[in-house]
Amino acid sequence: MKLQVRPDRKLIRAASRSTRYALLSFTAPVAPPRAGRRPANVALVLDRSGSMGGQKIRLAREAVQRALQMLHPEDRFTLVVYDHEVAVVTESTPASGEAKRAALARLAAIDARGSTDLAGGWLRGCEQVAEHLSAEAVSRCLLVTDGLANVGLTDHDEIARHARALRDRGVTTSTFGVGADFDDKLLQRMADEGGGHFYYIETAAQITDLLTSELGEALEVVARDAGIAVQAPGGVDVEPLTRLECCATDGGARVRLGDVVSGQEVEVVIALKFPTGREGEQVTVHFTVTDRDAVLAGAPADSVWTFAGDAENDAQSRDRVVDRAVALLHAARAREEAVDFNREGRFEEARRVLEAVQRRIREYAGNDPELRNLADGLRADFEVLSAPMTLAAQKSAHFAASTSARMRDLEGKAKRRPR
Amino acid sequence: METAGSRYDLRALCRLADVTPRTVHFYIQQGLLRPAGTPGPGARYDEGHLARLRLIRRLQKEHLPLAEIRKRLDPIDDGEVDRLLKEAERPVPHPRRESALEYVREVLRGSASRPPAILSSAKPGSDSWAAAPRSAAPASPAAVAPVPDRSQWDRVVLCPDIELHIRRPLSREQNRQVERLIKAARAVLEEESR
Repeated sequence: MKLQVRPDRKLIRAASRSTRYALLSFTAPVAPPRAGRRPANVALVLDRSGSMGGQKIRLAREAVQRALQMLHPEDRFTLVVYDHEVAVVTESTPASGEAKRAALARLAAIDARGSTDLAGGWLRGCEQVAEHLSAEAVSRCLLVTDGLANVGLTDHDEIARHARALRDRGVTTSTFGVGADFDDKLLQRMADEGGGHFYYIETAAQITDLLTSELGEALEVVARDAGIAVQAPGGVDVEPLTRLECCATDGGARVRLGDVVSGQEVEVVIALKFPTGREGEQVTVHFTVTDRDAVLAGAPADSVWTFAGDAENDAQSRDRVVDRAVALLHAARAREEAVDFNREGRFEEARRVLEAVQRRIREYAGNDPELRNLADGLRADFEVLSAPMTLAAQKSAHFAASTSARMRDLEGKAKRRPR
Repeated sequence: METAGSRYDLRALCRLADVTPRTVHFYIQQGLLRPAGTPGPGARYDEGHLARLRLIRRLQKEHLPLAEIRKRLDPIDDGEVDRLLKEAERPVPHPRRESALEYVREVLRGSASRPPAILSSAKPGSDSWAAAPRSAAPASPAAVAPVPDRSQWDRVVLCPDIELHIRRPLSREQNRQVERLIKAARAVLEEESR
């Protein structure tokens, strides 16, 4: 498996600090179908608060049924439902035919009733998964809700902290928000900190597709807790532009990719801020893919930058492929920020953040049609994102920006080689 | 790079030890540090000063009073200062990190949440799900008004000098009311300003 690295420009400024971008990409190996996939240890945590009544809960049940069909007896599952009370419908059990049938029968009688102890339901699901944590399984808690956490633990920061702590101890969290009223900031944070993915389910009819897609990905994980280790000399700051977690390490940083699935096309942009130096001197940065089980291990990819004067720097050629990836990410991040401002009614600030990024992209867009289109697209958003929006529109806008910033596809699924 | 016999001016000394000049002068005054060879702008400090300064900061971080620090530093030589510094800076071995299960149980205990109803045990077919759930917790009424245990406030700016503060979480109905409120407020404020 080969890691490719493309710098946007190869020269760096001798007399002042420069920021350069590196586009890293690799395609995960395709796992042989069926044979030897890792067992899954999953919790399905469903909101059964009053607002889920009618079609939503019916479709959620259907989604659970489809999801369970994907599991084999070597997998474990648990079913938890919550409103202001938490009920474990089925404690973690191997996914035999009988266990699945019994679980679904119980679920059929669960109707929508009260308010929402989201954190309570989620934590009980994590507890069930944690009780059967194994070294080889893919462990994940999938949380479905249509509302806000309004009972029990509701502090976002605290919930996010727990999501991260559980991720670090082997339990990943993915979240699904249904409809227009759920708290997408909370669900996004839980997924980001929890090492999983967030999905916006606009209409209940999509629940099955997205729940089974996420579970399907969990069943096709080829590399757990993957990351890109960046080794750079002192003085070089490393920061991913793609919305991924990054931690400092001895000699550089590690960008966390989460679990990587069979055939996944991974693309990450990393920003490097170089110190000053002497003209002609070179700086080499090493990039290596790592994961818990050394499945993706391969030779490191290196990139070399050379210090040069300002005139040379200004005149150097640019790799447009990298420029486009960079611009897309800047635009996505700006849109995320703008939606956040919009939620708080800070319309002027929403507009300003979009204008600023649009200006910057135009500065290096030149004649490139894709870059110019991107800038135009941002300009079109000035009006939309700086005026009052409905909750549903905010969610759509937030989700579109967030999947783009995390390099997932429009629905929030992993980008994969066409099969 | 620090080499044997290095001499630092006050600024360099402060930068390396991460203290202010005022602090250095204070320590000298308190007898914790030897004064530099020559006073004034020509003052030069050596490795011994730097090491001692670092050790003083360390011991202060461990909440030792100055008098105690002075007592400890007075009789010892530079070599001993170096040794104590190395010992103080040795990384503490990390306590074993708890497992996911220990962690989540701790959180659930701390949040005083009720134990969940268990509608079935792991043995399918052994319990009829229609029987009373195993949990000891009494059933509570179906509809419960939202009771936030902790709260966070959001600020919505209506115009440069007027804000609306909202304590989250709100119920869905309240969220809708707030949306209408903001829209109406903005309309009023824009009208007034014309």
